[in-house]
Amino acid sequence: MKRGSPLKEVNGNTFPKNKPFNCDLANTPQVWIFQNPSINKLIYMEIDRFNTFIIGVGGQGVIRAAHILADAALAEDHHVRTAETHGMAQRGGSVSGFVSYGKEVHGPLIPKQGANIIISLEPSEALRSVQYANKNTYYFIDITKIVPLSIYQNRKLNYPQIEEIRTELSKITPHVHFIDATNLAEHAGNIKTMNVVLLGLAMGSGKVPLLRETLENSIKKFVPAKALEVNRQAFELGFQQGAKTEEI
Amino acid sequence: MSTDSNNSNPIPKIAQDDPGYKTIMLGNEAIARGILEGNAILATAYPGTPSSEIMPAVAICAKYHPEMRVEWSVNEKVAFEAAYAGSMCNVRSVAVMKHVGVNVASDAFMTAVYHGVRGGMVLISADDPSQFSSQNEQDNRYYGLHALAPVFEPATPQEAKDMMKYAFEYSEKHNNVVIFRTTTRLNHGRADVVFGSIDKIEQKAEFDWDRNRWVCVPSNTRPQRADLLVRMVKMTEDAENFPFNHLTLTEKSINGKKVGFVAAGIAYSHLQDSLYELGITDSVSIFKLGLVNPLPVKSMEKILRHVDVLFIVEELEPIFEEQFKARAYEFGLVDKVQIHGKDLLPQQGELLPETITGAIAKLFNLEYVVPEVPTLEIPAPPRLPQMCPACSHRNIYWIMKKVSRKLKKKFVNNNDIGCYSLGVYKPLQIADTALCMGGSIGMANGMAKILSDDVIVTAFLGDSTFFHSGVAPLLNAVYNQNDILVIISDNNYTSMTGGQDNPSNGILLTGEKGTLIPIENVVKGCGVPEENIWVHEAYDMEGLNEKFEAAATAKGVRVFINRHMCSLQEIRVIKKQKIKLPVIKVNPDICVGCMTCVRQFGCPAISFDLVARKASIDQTQCRSCKTCIYICPQQAFYVVPE
Repeated sequence: MKRGSPLKEVNGNTFPKNKPFNCDLANTPQVWIFQNPSINKLIYMEIDRFNTFIIGVGGQGVIRAAHILADAALAEDHHVRTAETHGMAQRGGSVSGFVSYGKEVHGPLIPKQGANIIISLEPSEALRSVQYANKNTYYFIDITKIVPLSIYQNRKLNYPQIEEIRTELSKITPHVHFIDATNLAEHAGNIKTMNVVLLGLAMGSGKVPLLRETLENSIKKFVPAKALEVNRQAFELGFQQGAKTEEI
Repeated sequence: MSTDSNNSNPIPKIAQDDPGYKTIMLGNEAIARGILEGNAILATAYPGTPSSEIMPAVAICAKYHPEMRVEWSVNEKVAFEAAYAGSMCNVRSVAVMKHVGVNVASDAFMTAVYHGVRGGMVLISADDPSQFSSQNEQDNRYYGLHALAPVFEPATPQEAKDMMKYAFEYSEKHNNVVIFRTTTRLNHGRADVVFGSIDKIEQKAEFDWDRNRWVCVPSNTRPQRADLLVRMVKMTEDAENFPFNHLTLTEKSINGKKVGFVAAGIAYSHLQDSLYELGITDSVSIFKLGLVNPLPVKSMEKILRHVDVLFIVEELEPIFEEQFKARAYEFGLVDKVQIHGKDLLPQQGELLPETITGAIAKLFNLEYVVPEVPTLEIPAPPRLPQMCPACSHRNIYWIMKKVSRKLKKKFVNNNDIGCYSLGVYKPLQIADTALCMGGSIGMANGMAKILSDDVIVTAFLGDSTFFHSGVAPLLNAVYNQNDILVIISDNNYTSMTGGQDNPSNGILLTGEKGTLIPIENVVKGCGVPEENIWVHEAYDMEGLNEKFEAAATAKGVRVFINRHMCSLQEIRVIKKQKIKLPVIKVNPDICVGCMTCVRQFGCPAISFDLVARKASIDQTQCRSCKTCIYICPQQAFYVVPE
């Protein structure tokens, strides 16, 4: 399977060549099955549990991204559970969302070191998510900084450089990917579609065990009609970037 | 999903009678759907995280099911009383609140259980383990034991919907108010939910004139208490067959011992994950509880007799544990079964999956590596929640600090529950106390009685909090002539919980127009003399300063009302009406890099270049309140001429 290219309409046996993601967490084998190989039908993957952690700053669209992902996972017949930060979400604080899907999903929380993918909508927030990362975790991070006020009130505090963040995260996993999602979102036509760019990036990298079509359909469901094209564009730009991520 | 609909049917999905439909739902939306499926007629609430999303979803349903009546009540006690009146009048009712709201409602609740119900009545209590946005993490299962009321606790959004629907029927059957207890991870988590049918039953609202039942004089409530105890026995017997309790016993064992688990709610969901991860799902007996009070004695006995080791996995207080231990004693099983619970699990904070997995692995010597949290050389800088750009609370705080400096008098600033509580943090650090809704004025009363005149005793609260619990302590101050300065920072919305409407803007939960109640009228009515009431626009810093100084130096009970619409709400209006805001900028030639704006004022729209030592404005965040122009000692901020 070439990075997230959809496994669709296959009558034969196009079995994915590489298992594109690892889940050491539960030490459970990940099987790929064809739901109904005899008919032209989208093929869904069977997974025990796939954990995505999304983090960012209030107002960036963390919860919306989590909701979209959850909706797409449901569309592929998975059990889905999420846990989200609400309430203070619009007060500029740190906001996060857990999204888990698969056939063995009960609790909404991801255990420490249990995330398969971490999407960070802000670079320093990625540092706050390390407790969920393991050596196989894939990081997708936007590079646009939102400097917290705490920096100005305590001279000892510094906002880390992108390279410093990369170094720190690389101690845990080699799969750390920064992207100028904000810039791509601006190209797409609306800076606020940055969360969709990152979803596209993750999808394009081939590390998300969902079909591109499913995710795109879910995005469509959540955006107003006039913003459809902007979001489609944002997803496409992110996807292309993801597909270029050679190391993966 | 609540606004989700398709073209052929304009009714939002949540309000449609479409049994079998499967979708992703927030726990709170699933509860709202359960309220609809259970055919509740009257629903009332006071907003509070994590319960706040329930009522807006119910309101959407009510729009398409005209028999339903919904309201934001001014506080939880009124919400409970109003809903209970619905039950008295033979219709199904529900009151929704957060856990600490139940404390406010408890006066009514504790006696309502004596009278019992006519229409099914449910009290939703949204608890907040780990205190994500609450002042404490009280475990409201205790209210069930305290009041002799049944307590339901769902484990998933699906169960939340199903149990909610069932709760009305159960309430009617057992003639008692049902507490429906949830926790944050249930309320604020999404999962796949399959709709049931909306079962409309015939409900005609009519009062029955039974004074011996509804009047809480001792001659009525004494026999009612005796009856309540009998009803409780009945509920305990019936608990054996409660449809959301599941007892699964197995003969299998772990290391030669038969093992059992007891869990409810989110802790049960996490337990399932942990057992799966350890690969022992099929080797253990499990007692999953949906009815967490009263506990079914026979089933308890069954599992106690069956297993050698019983591990009770519950969040917060050891409520099941104590009861299981007491029963083990009663059945003479103390030496036979080993009971674990809080000896292995924390009593504070939410239970995390790895904590449960680790505890089980340790107890039974199973292989499991507890995940380690890596320590970073470069930590993420703290990002605390803060008041929004253009928030009017920040303005009045600034003025208070300024006036305090000028008068050389310290304020004891009794604070309250709302966005303004964030004034406790840097850079403002102005909130000195905060205890509970309306507590600011209450505490100020006592301080005014005993503190000397060299401090000014203030109470600081918002509009919704004032309506909720501020009126009574203000009356108290007037009556007792307690010399206090009350600041009501009126932004027309219940902002902290997501901008719900309240009497200060006069809009109802249904979106219709209600009655707007100007706070100054209420204050006047409480007996505060007119010359001791100041009302001012919160963005006009000069005027605010002048009036506030007058208020601070006056005597007697004084009320200062600063008013500006919540900036989060205002930005919506601005966008909708396509109003062009003036652009504010910093003149780098004038800015001397004193950092007053970022270090003392702290508007999130202002950033500071630590190398160039110049402030600048993030135009995407700025909402043009122009306060920065006032606070800058150099007057480096300016409005860009058009």
